[in-house]
Amino acid sequence: MAQQANEPLPSGHLLEEYTIDRQLSLGGFSIVYLAWDPAGKQVAIKEYIPNSLALRGKGETKPVITADHIGAFRYGMKCFFEEGRALARLSHPNVIRVLNFFRANGTVYLVMEYEHGRTLQEYIQKHQGHISERFMRGVFTRMLNGLREVHSHKLLHLDMKPSNIYLRADNTPVLIDFGAARQTLASDQPMLKPMYTPGFASPEHYNTRKDLGPWSDIYSVGASMYACLAGCAPQAADARLNKDILVPAMMRWDGQFSDRMLEIIDWCLNLNHLYRPQSVFALQKALVEAVTPPAPKVNPNWLGRFVETFRKPTK
Amino acid sequence: MRFTIYQESRQGGRANNEDRTTCCYSRDALLMVIADGMGGHHYGEIASQIAVQTMADVFQREARPVLADPFRFLQKGMTNAHHAITDYAARHKLKDSPRTTCVACVVQDNIAYWAHAGDSRLYLIRDDRVIAQTRDHSRIRLLIDEGMISEAQAAVHPDRNKIYSCLGSPTPPEIEFSRKTPLTHGDIVLLSTDGLWGVTSGEQMALAFKGANFLQTVPKLLAEAEVKGGPHGDNLSVVAVRWEDSYVEEESSAISTMTMTQDEVTTRLEEFGRNPSYKSDLSEDEIEKAIEEIRNAIDKYNPKK
Repeated sequence: MAQQANEPLPSGHLLEEYTIDRQLSLGGFSIVYLAWDPAGKQVAIKEYIPNSLALRGKGETKPVITADHIGAFRYGMKCFFEEGRALARLSHPNVIRVLNFFRANGTVYLVMEYEHGRTLQEYIQKHQGHISERFMRGVFTRMLNGLREVHSHKLLHLDMKPSNIYLRADNTPVLIDFGAARQTLASDQPMLKPMYTPGFASPEHYNTRKDLGPWSDIYSVGASMYACLAGCAPQAADARLNKDILVPAMMRWDGQFSDRMLEIIDWCLNLNHLYRPQSVFALQKALVEAVTPPAPKVNPNWLGRFVETFRKPTK
Repeated sequence: MRFTIYQESRQGGRANNEDRTTCCYSRDALLMVIADGMGGHHYGEIASQIAVQTMADVFQREARPVLADPFRFLQKGMTNAHHAITDYAARHKLKDSPRTTCVACVVQDNIAYWAHAGDSRLYLIRDDRVIAQTRDHSRIRLLIDEGMISEAQAAVHPDRNKIYSCLGSPTPPEIEFSRKTPLTHGDIVLLSTDGLWGVTSGEQMALAFKGANFLQTVPKLLAEAEVKGGPHGDNLSVVAVRWEDSYVEEESSAISTMTMTQDEVTTRLEEFGRNPSYKSDLSEDEIEKAIEEIRNAIDKYNPKK
């Protein structure tokens, strides 16, 4: 299957009551635009336009869908509806708000609120290696409020990663992109492979996916926290199942962050889903517990310091 | 009436599946149809779809619960299908009308009646042997019958796919009818397109059924034929029924029609479409409904400030 990039709608294009400003991002299934609503407010509009099934050339508005692909296209549309349904029912300050949903140009559009800010991914890249524990705890505890809301609606996000965590100007996190939510349905559709991001996807994301649960999103949260400290994604779960070379957070950043937080990261990143926190609430509870500053472990005499160097830094 | 039935159509190595199959049954009558839309012609799958659909429609109307005259039904059904295809071509101003082969079989009162046009075949297998089969309406068949060429030569003859009778062509189809054939317990009636019989002989099929589980054997035959057909193999389809007088091998897989009401007809027919497996059940109405539902949810949970 040839993968051609679809042409975005041009700037100034009038889409229902919205005026397209520019393309914000381009994914395999959709294009996200920045647009203006009639009141002059900025909104983000997500257009369902799967690369492999619908093609829009330069200067065209309506994508061309061949007869062969119409079935798969409609199936993907169903998944897009799932995303719309999932988001529409969620009303939470830490989850992106949906404003509208409409049909045009032979496809469907999801209008979401837009705020100035950046993704956690961008933040990590900018502050590589200089992210404070206070920032981490603040962002993740509040982000988990949003995730708890998602799980309480019997939904799984399934694509948690720093680039899907948006930080407002005041650093309050917002969960964005629910494109993978509920897409477990699509696993038997060859053209609509289930999506996941290596490094952040849990071991259950691979293979049969029958063990997916809140703990799978929790693995991804752990991986995101790990990425905050490391500056890049941890080893992918499928590779870890083969040969685990991921250095536990407890070993890698011993003494630089509180033991409790490092312990939580390793807890979330357990390959066996039964050994992870089983609910977001359990994880949140652990995160808000009293912070224990890294204990100064300098032995008073020289012999103690000498012995210390041979001890495994696991504690 | 007790029988076990299996129908399947596979695409093989082709870009689309132009084969269509159906089986319908009422309390006391069973109809099976296979049509092979012709690849050389445009809209082959339209012709085959029209053919099976026409047959199924007539059956649903007339099998209450038996057909008054099965041969007349077959004749009328196939002729109607032929006209429906030519009408379709005229209505859509097609230069070349779409064409299809067709083989149909009715069983009622334990008697089988069948008719065919073209080179889709029916085999009747009894005691692990083929005891009857249709004769293809192909030039190559005539040559064999006249002793001009042998079966082995026919298998590689360049004209082996050319047929002189089909539904939808400007010349009316030549429909050939069987005799009234009484069925006994364990008889297998198998309808197939050339994708299957072209690579698997009747004897091989009969042997495959010997002592094996009927419902597992048919897909196995298809799978083997698909492999033999290779990467560019033809579409292959089969409708096969094993007639069970009293004895049933597996309670669950046998269909009993004794509990059906007098006017009830059950039909299994694949929907129209090039690739039914991809077919999503999302209709225009459902799209509108889904959007409406999402908008309502937005209004309810995220009202505009």
